[in-house]
Amino acid sequence: MITKERALWIYEKMLEIRQFEETAWDLFCANKIHGSVHLYLGEEAVAASVCSFMTDEDYITSTHRGHGHCVAKGGDLGKTLAEMMGRDTGYCRGRSGSMHIADFSKGNLGANAIVGGGIPIATGAALSQKMQGKKDNFTVAFFGDGACSQGVTHESMNLAALWKLPIIFCIENNGYAISLPLEDNIPTDNITDRAAGYGMPSFSVDGNDVEAICEAMEQAVAHVTSGQGPVMLECKTGRWMGHWTGDPELYRTRQEVEELKAREPIQRFRARMLETGIADEETICAIEAKVTKAMADALDFAMNSPEPDPAHVTDDVFYEG
Amino acid sequence: MAKKVIMPKQGLQMTEGTIMQWLVAEGGTVEKGQPLFEMETDKLTITMDAEASGTLLKIVRPVGDTVPITELIAVIGEPGEDISALLGDAAPAAAAPAESAPAAPAEAPAAAPVAERAPGERIFISPRARMIAEEKGIDYSKIVGTGNDGSIIERDILAYEASQPAVTPLAANVAKANGIDLAGIAGSGANGKITTADLPVSAPAAAEAPAAPAAAETPAQMGRGTRTERMSGMRRAISNNMLASKNTNAQTNHRMSVDMTAAIALRSQYKALGIKVSYNDIIVRACAKALQDMPIINASVDGNNIVYHDYVNVGTAVSVPGGLIVPVIRDADIIGLSGIAAKSTELIEKARDGKLTDSDYHGGTFTVSSLGMFDLDDFVAIINPPESAILAVGKIAKTPVVVTNEDGEDEIAIKSMCNLCLSYDHRIIDGAEAAKFLQKLKNYLQNPVLLI
Amino acid sequence: MSEMLFTAAIARTIAEEMRRDPSVFVMGEDVGVIGGIYGASKGLLEEFGRERIRQTPISEAGFVGAGLGAACTGMRPIVELMYMDFTFVAMDQILNQVAKTRYVFGGKAKIPLVIRGQQGVGGGNAATHSQSVESLFLNIPGLKIAVPSTAADAVGLLRTAIRDDNPVLFFEHKKLYKGGKWEVPDDPEYMIPFGKADIKRQGTDVTVVATQFYVGEALKAAEELAKEGISVEVVDPRTLYPLDIDTICESVKKTGHLVTVHEACAVGGWGSEIESQVMDRVFRYMDAAPIRVGAKQCPLPFNPNLEKAVVPQIPDIVAACKRVLSK
Repeated sequence: MITKERALWIYEKMLEIRQFEETAWDLFCANKIHGSVHLYLGEEAVAASVCSFMTDEDYITSTHRGHGHCVAKGGDLGKTLAEMMGRDTGYCRGRSGSMHIADFSKGNLGANAIVGGGIPIATGAALSQKMQGKKDNFTVAFFGDGACSQGVTHESMNLAALWKLPIIFCIENNGYAISLPLEDNIPTDNITDRAAGYGMPSFSVDGNDVEAICEAMEQAVAHVTSGQGPVMLECKTGRWMGHWTGDPELYRTRQEVEELKAREPIQRFRARMLETGIADEETICAIEAKVTKAMADALDFAMNSPEPDPAHVTDDVFYEG
Repeated sequence: MAKKVIMPKQGLQMTEGTIMQWLVAEGGTVEKGQPLFEMETDKLTITMDAEASGTLLKIVRPVGDTVPITELIAVIGEPGEDISALLGDAAPAAAAPAESAPAAPAEAPAAAPVAERAPGERIFISPRARMIAEEKGIDYSKIVGTGNDGSIIERDILAYEASQPAVTPLAANVAKANGIDLAGIAGSGANGKITTADLPVSAPAAAEAPAAPAAAETPAQMGRGTRTERMSGMRRAISNNMLASKNTNAQTNHRMSVDMTAAIALRSQYKALGIKVSYNDIIVRACAKALQDMPIINASVDGNNIVYHDYVNVGTAVSVPGGLIVPVIRDADIIGLSGIAAKSTELIEKARDGKLTDSDYHGGTFTVSSLGMFDLDDFVAIINPPESAILAVGKIAKTPVVVTNEDGEDEIAIKSMCNLCLSYDHRIIDGAEAAKFLQKLKNYLQNPVLLI
Repeated sequence: MSEMLFTAAIARTIAEEMRRDPSVFVMGEDVGVIGGIYGASKGLLEEFGRERIRQTPISEAGFVGAGLGAACTGMRPIVELMYMDFTFVAMDQILNQVAKTRYVFGGKAKIPLVIRGQQGVGGGNAATHSQSVESLFLNIPGLKIAVPSTAADAVGLLRTAIRDDNPVLFFEHKKLYKGGKWEVPDDPEYMIPFGKADIKRQGTDVTVVATQFYVGEALKAAEELAKEGISVEVVDPRTLYPLDIDTICESVKKTGHLVTVHEACAVGGWGSEIESQVMDRVFRYMDAAPIRVGAKQCPLPFNPNLEKAVVPQIPDIVAACKRVLSK
């Protein structure tokens, strides 16, 4: 069983992600966020559990469905929301929007709107850690089942395995590459079958089960920080919403989504904490109140943030020293 | 140490001068202050004194050469002195003795082909060629383009420029003012440079130029032909000025007869006091007063602006050998009749002696021209630009006139009458204004007490 | 000054920088034992070992992306591509990731990454290994582009590239590799700033802007034209981004005529871009429309005579100069 401290941290992060995504959905519907957003609702356990093993010296790369990773990696709710609203106070001063949020100070090397695009970057970050002798640090590349069919994913895994880099390839398998179901995307029953090809250990766990993810992560972190090379970690989960806001979801049934929601990770973990006595109702309610307050403050911050000044639109293309 | 003799600048407007005569022969000795050569500008003929003593080692520019100011014309030094370094500056002149000057135009590059373009036809020209043409003030509308697509390019502008004979700055200005196309004009200056002497008197004359050879071919009558004489600088200046006046003003005139009896009496009174005052001085004084009353007559036109002058400077035309010059009596409105008389005496003397300086004949705002001494009853004068009016004064003649006596009866009396004719620029001076001016003038002349 | 092959000058500069800064390392195909297939990494493995001279699998997207990841986390990678044609295999990483990372993340990341390699005809390698591809990258903001024409320039520019905190695409030309020995400055601090053109020959009649191998060809064309009384000024921009448009414009103001020469296709090449910028700025000084000299709009064929027919030759440069002068 995981420690109380880790459990409460994960619960708080999952709640933050949940409330953040619900807020984002509301803002999108109210036309306060333009473009599109890819919601992480239903997948909260993965980012929160994985990142509970990481410090600011550990790196992640994220995906277009990246809000959860950003929040779990210690991202500020207000700055993240402000970025999604295109405000000057956002993480990237309104240049990235929902799909490219980065926070280098927390080790978040950025979400990436190209499917698979972040995986070689994570590999390079792990190379840095290795070359710089940072033996306790490692990198997690988050990506989905869709990215598993990108060539660069193979290239990165191959390179990381050859060079024994401290990287965990964390596959968030939500069953669909946009509208393409897993069976039409991956020719074998398990994505982790591929790990053997790189000679790397793999874990395949229920991505809605915090304890299962944490158990795998403990072993994975021990492996990658011991200089033995990368690990593949598959977390089987599911998204409640469409691929993007506006997805007609013709590829799956309403019933399937209802079944998914029955496996909802947050209530499941809440019950588990009460059941095992890790936390009592009072402690949990205090966390819930804290998160609700934090989210309200974040919304307030984002809504009241200024628009960026177009006069500075070409700043930062290059580092000017 | 040899010294250069240069074409001196005499007056603000002078840009070139023509050497009329060397008063010392090459090899002759010369003392500082001794007259050395005579030169002519478009205003004056002046004798220039030597500024150094020694031997006139070299006459660089011979008689007839028109030389830009400050250019070397001669060298004074000690016999046997090496003056090649000084002459080096004048290489172009040395290479072109005066005798060969007339031939120079023939050596100029062949005239550039002329483009045949329909009116309004688009001219294709490269941006660079256009820029250079504008900088050099070259009209490229007739230049043939040799660019790949027939566009006029830089080399076409430069070739055109090279095909144009060199021209002195003054001549270029005169040509521009008169719309004279310099192409095809043979230059008679040094190196075939076009000087004002080479310009046809007017643009229309230039247009008619092709007819001239036909006239020349007419057989001489009874052995008598024609004689062509180059205009003097002054003649050219007068010619250009008069033509410019006629071409640019809306000239017309009003006439009025004035009884000068009282003015004659006034002159006699001054004479009795030993002060010499001419009729012309009285008329200038009367004009100054009338011009004070009517500033528009004293004004001039500058583009779309009317320029009013606070001062009244009255020019008086003075006949001099070879032409006419108009010295100016400054501040004629404030220096009084005796002041006018003194100034005009001084100016007339200077004019006849050829000693007028630049400032003596510039800045006039009105002119008086009197030809009464030639027994002329009346005449019409041409306005002297940029002035807007000129008064032509005929002779004073005893004339029978009808007067009304104290009993209210008409009778014939003998009066000393004078005919005045005011030529004025109708662009800014209305007919009634001109008439009013003459009326005021008449009033001043018939009541000369107002002039004292 | 020392005399050495172009490739040796590159390898020596990399070694000097690796000695100076432990964060500099090399990654790429065949950079190990054989020192790169053209020898531009020769000797590096022996001195620095496998940890800093990382020979990669044939995975351009993977190791270019890893270069980016390492660059934004404190290392200064020099990524060698065997042929710059292979940038196409890594195009997403170069254009979407390397070029944009700093900007989209709000200016937070520094990307001290050099991607270098050779390009161009001269190897008899036909369509996919003979291209000059530098122009394509000019259309994507966020990349600096160096195109040296001499070994000395390559040394000065490469050192600047390695020390720059921005991504640099460094294009060498394989014909320069084969161009015998070059004079190279020995100063281990010898640097040439980016965005500073070099006038390789002074002239008054026509400005020829060329890079890489074609600087030499333009100089030869200038010699020929000089015999006919045509004075050619050869301007080598040395970097296409940043571009020293001021020096080019000053030259055109003087000559009034502009010819651009590159091996890449004339259509959509950097020559068009420079011509456009020059016309934007100094159109009124121009006496004729500028002329591009570049490859025909055709993939590069294998047969040497066919290849020669596609890419510009000295007579093409001579003819262009005469045509722009209406001669």
